This record gives sequence, structure tokens and C-alpha cells, in this order.
Amino acid sequence: MVVNTIDIDALFNALGGEIDRDCIQQDSIQNEVVIEIPAEKLLEVSSVLLDQFDLYHLSTITAEERAGDPDYLAVQYNFWKGSGLTLLTRLEKDSPVLRSLTGMIPGADFYEREVAEMFGVQFTHRAETPPLLLPDDWDGDPPMLQKEEPK
Amino acid sequence: MDKMNIPIGPQHPLLKEPLRLNIEISGERVLGGILRLGYVHRGIEKLAQTRNYNQNVSLTERVCGICSHVHTTTFCRAVEALLGLELPERVHYIRALMCEMERIHSHLLWLGILAKHIGLEMVFMHTWHDRESILDVMEELSGGRVAHAVNQIGGVRFDLDEDHGPMVDSTVKKLKVDYEELLDVIEHDTTLKARTQGIAPLSAEDMKKYCVVGPVARASGVDVDMRRDDPMPPYDKLDFQVITHPDGDAWSRTYVRLQEIRQSLHLCKQIIDDIPEGPISVRAPRKVPAGEVVMRSEAPRGELFYYLRSDGSEYPARLKIRTPTLPALGILPEQLSEIHIADIPVVLAGIDLCIACADR
Amino acid sequence: MFRTAMDRVYRWAQKNSIWVLSFNTGGCNGCDIEILDLLTPRYDVERLGIMAEASPRHADVLLCTGPVTRQARSGLWQIYSQMPSPKWVVAVGSCSNTGGMFLDSETVLGGVDSVLPVDVYIPGCPCRPEAIIEGLVNLIERI
Repeated sequence: MVVNTIDIDALFNALGGEIDRDCIQQDSIQNEVVIEIPAEKLLEVSSVLLDQFDLYHLSTITAEERAGDPDYLAVQYNFWKGSGLTLLTRLEKDSPVLRSLTGMIPGADFYEREVAEMFGVQFTHRAETPPLLLPDDWDGDPPMLQKEEPK
Repeated sequence: MDKMNIPIGPQHPLLKEPLRLNIEISGERVLGGILRLGYVHRGIEKLAQTRNYNQNVSLTERVCGICSHVHTTTFCRAVEALLGLELPERVHYIRALMCEMERIHSHLLWLGILAKHIGLEMVFMHTWHDRESILDVMEELSGGRVAHAVNQIGGVRFDLDEDHGPMVDSTVKKLKVDYEELLDVIEHDTTLKARTQGIAPLSAEDMKKYCVVGPVARASGVDVDMRRDDPMPPYDKLDFQVITHPDGDAWSRTYVRLQEIRQSLHLCKQIIDDIPEGPISVRAPRKVPAGEVVMRSEAPRGELFYYLRSDGSEYPARLKIRTPTLPALGILPEQLSEIHIADIPVVLAGIDLCIACADR
Repeated sequence: MFRTAMDRVYRWAQKNSIWVLSFNTGGCNGCDIEILDLLTPRYDVERLGIMAEASPRHADVLLCTGPVTRQARSGLWQIYSQMPSPKWVVAVGSCSNTGGMFLDSETVLGGVDSVLPVDVYIPGCPCRPEAIIEGLVNLIERI
């Protein structure tokens, strides 16, 4: 039985103690805890979540372009334990680089490969990211970066 | 002994859907496998940005033909959360009824495929025959055998009238009888047990590491079910058990799904008995206010994840779908080591792959 | 149309029992499970001499489901070229008829007829098993 226990105060205490105060709580997603963190802190914060709060379940990694924030890519790590917790990082669109979580969470492999091919994000500290969904003969840019007008 | 590579797919008798699997073998022993997806990649997440919310309901229905209803339900719930709509109780009950019938049909379908791979043609024919009766009810209610088009934003498209209740009731009763008979055969069948017990077991730790969800995780003893842990109404008012099994092999996956059919039949009965009267939809505006929402539902194969961001227009700014099969595919390389070639079909069937879901 | 004696023998044999191979070129599974449904007790197409076959080398008819994705294209072509002549292609479902609702996607090429010559189109999303049977019976009459 998964008990609905993400103690936000304890979480922020733990984060504040070990990392600095770059982590900002947001309320962008309904009924979810959203914490914005700098990209280089991703591994540290995730290991705190995993080791101290047993938040082992990474639902997915969602990347997106936002119209109001054109120079950046927003990448969200959607964790779940009874209720959702999302880590949000912003990457510069020119050279999006992220530290891979596959060492800690092997299940992140497919999610990272998908983000890599769909948005051109580069993941370090992991094996190559071969195409997961795109065809072998794909030669264009990452498809999700090209905007299309609604028809 | 020399190592050899066998490519399986994209078309292969083993696979109902295209997928390429390069298996490395040494004699009869399988050493490992490499997976290539993408044969069914239709770019649904990208297409969703070019369609309006109503069109997206039918688009998300076509993510997968087996669990089509739960996709639209999750999408509609996400949009309704952004709109802040209060839905009538009856809507939730009708959606849940379809969800449970879909789970029964999906699990029966899966059981048939497993039996076919093992060589038990009789079980395949029996389960698919039983499955027809549940499809009949779904068709009677919604008008579609496979794509039901039940949901619209703000409610459902059809109402249950007075003959539908007794019809569901009698089908559930009949299925229960057929199913118990089948279960009796399956549980005492030595061939099935010999082919599935002890095949590629994985521990709960492995499941947690690979973020696996649904029946596959429950068969390894991970006690998680979105219907109970992150419930959509009316599951918080219904009585059901979450089935787990400690072993994590192919047999325990069979066991978990078989018991889940029984729970789903029980749920159908409760829903039909408890369903409140009332309207079946509320009016929803075309434009959705800006915001972000995450929705999780329990599909037949596990946790289904939808992320939706609206920028206030008629079109979603971003729709992210993570289907339960994708994390389950992550454990496949681990499963495909140190087994016999003859066990590959059992391992593949045990995971209950749905490539159309995984590729989107 | 000129037909050799051997060709007539082939057609006579095929007409009595067509062997069907199904291939999902990128569909959502909906049509595939309906095709599989044809083999089960309620529809049971074996009574019409239609048999499901898993190997392209033994098949007469290729049942395609789903829009053709770029990745599946070469596989589809390979399967078709491995089938012995004379051979027929049936497009099952709206997606494989025209590309359906996925036609706009960059990874989708369109219907099956963008890659292979198609003999029978069966519409529906997904097709009912009865429709697939009718399509196949139509095809048998044309052989």
C-alpha cells in the first residue's frame, strides 16, 4: 500500500540543508508539488528524494517549449508517491544539456531517449541515446521543436 | 559455444504488433536482447497540438485499440480539471463501468494470447469466446466494439436506460460462471504451470528501479494501483482488492490478471447497483483556460500518465502521454537473459506488450 | 487477359482456400484484434477456407492495418516481395485506406496504397469482423 506521504516541509528542510536555496516551490500544476531547480542540481535533489523520501517512482520526463519563455526548454521530472511531485528545470535552448538519472533510476532510460530525440536534449553520464521512436532515416530537426499552426 | 544473433520482427508470428528484437543466443540459451521501437510511431503528441480539444478526444482514443476508453477518460479528466467543471456523479459511474469492462476484455484477450503462445489453443478459443460477450455489452451500451467513443469533454455521450442494467447484470453473472470454470482449468493445468512458473522472475526492487507499473509490478509484490492510491471517482466509494503476488515470474503475472478479472466483475456489479440518477453531461466551453495539469489513471496495463498544458486557446499547448507499456519494456532486456529460446514467447506475453501504446 | 494453364490452376487452388497474413504497419491495434477475432469461435473464418498464416512465403493475401509509418515501410515492402505471386493486398481500416486521422503526421506516409497496390479497401475505424469477412469474400470472388 502506498501511503500518501510527501511531507513538503520535511522535504524542503532536507533540500535546504544539503543544497542551497535555489529550489523554489511553484504552483503551476494543479494538485501537484512543483519544485523548480537549477539543472546542475538535478542529481542531488533526486537522490535526496530517492534516499530520504523513498520517491522511487518516476512517472515520466516531460519536455516542452513554452511560448512565454522562448529561449528555454522546460523539462519536468514527474515523480509519484501517493500524489505527484514534479521537478522543473529550465534549459537554454541553444545547448540543452542535462545530467542523466539512469545510474540511479534505470527506468529513466527510455524517457531520456525520448526527450533526447524529440527535443534535442543531450544527456551526460550515460550511454548513447539511440533513436527510440523516430525512424532510422529521420534527417530533420527534433520534431517537437518545430511548431505547426493548428489546422 | 558460438554466439548468434536472431532478429525477430517487425513481422513475426510471435508479435501481434511490429517491433524489432535482436536476440543474442548461445546454443539454446538466450544471452540478451536489444529492442527497437518506432514502427508504430504516429507522432500523436505532436498531432495533438494541431487539433482542438474535441478532436483530441477522438485522437487519444486511437492511441491504442485495446485500452481506448481509459485514454479518453484520462484526457477528458485532464481537460475538465483545467476547466474546473463539476461533473454529475452518473458520469463517473458510466466511465468507471466502461473502464472495468475494458479491463476484463483486455485481460481475457491477454490470457488468450498467452495460451496461444504456449500452445493451448483450447484456452485461446474459450477466452476469446467469453470476451465476445463483454464486447457485446460494450457495443450495446456505446455502439462500438473496440472504439467506444464514450467520452466527451464534460460528460459521456450515452446514458444507461432501464434494460442496460439487467443486461450488464446477467452478462456479469454468466461470465462469472464461465470464468470460474476456466479458472479452475487454468489453475490446475500442469502444462501452463510448467511453462510459466519460475520463468524470468524479477524482484520488487527491480520493478521499483525500472519504474514498472500495473499488473507486472503487482506480480512482483509492489502494492500499487492507481484506482486505490490516486483514485478517480467513484473508485473511492467502491469495494475491491488490489491483487499482488510475491514471485514475479510469468505464472504470478497470470495469477494477478486472472484475479483482477474477478475483481472487475465484482466492480461492474457494484457500479450497476449503485449508479445514481442524474444528467450525463455538462456544457463545456471550447476554450480552455491557461494552466497545467497531470492526470493518472489505472489502465488495464497499469498507470497511465497524461500531462496537459493549455495556453488559453482552443488547442492544447502540450499533451504528454506516458503509457504503461513503455516502462515495462525497460525490463525486457533483463528478462531476456539466461532463459531458453522456447521461453521467449512466455516472457513477451507475460509483460502484455502494447506497442501501439508505447510508440504513440 | 492472357492466362497460362498453370496460372489458372493456381487461381483455382487459391480461390478455395486463401492464406492470409496480417501485418500492422503502424495501426492502433483496434483492427488487429478484430482480425484475430475472425479466427475465434464466433466468426471462425476457417469455415470459408480462409486461414491465418504467419510466414509471408506461404501467404496469398496481405491484410494491412494502420497507416504506413516511415519506419515500417521497408518491412512492408520486404514482406510483400517475399510473398509468392499471384498475391493480393487488402487495406483494413480507415488508416490503411487513406492514412486516416494520422495523415498529417511527419512520420506517417499515408495509406497502404502509397507503398503497395491495393486490391480491396475495407473502411471502418475499426472495421467490424463482418466487414472484414465481406471484404475477403469479395476478394475471393474476384480471384
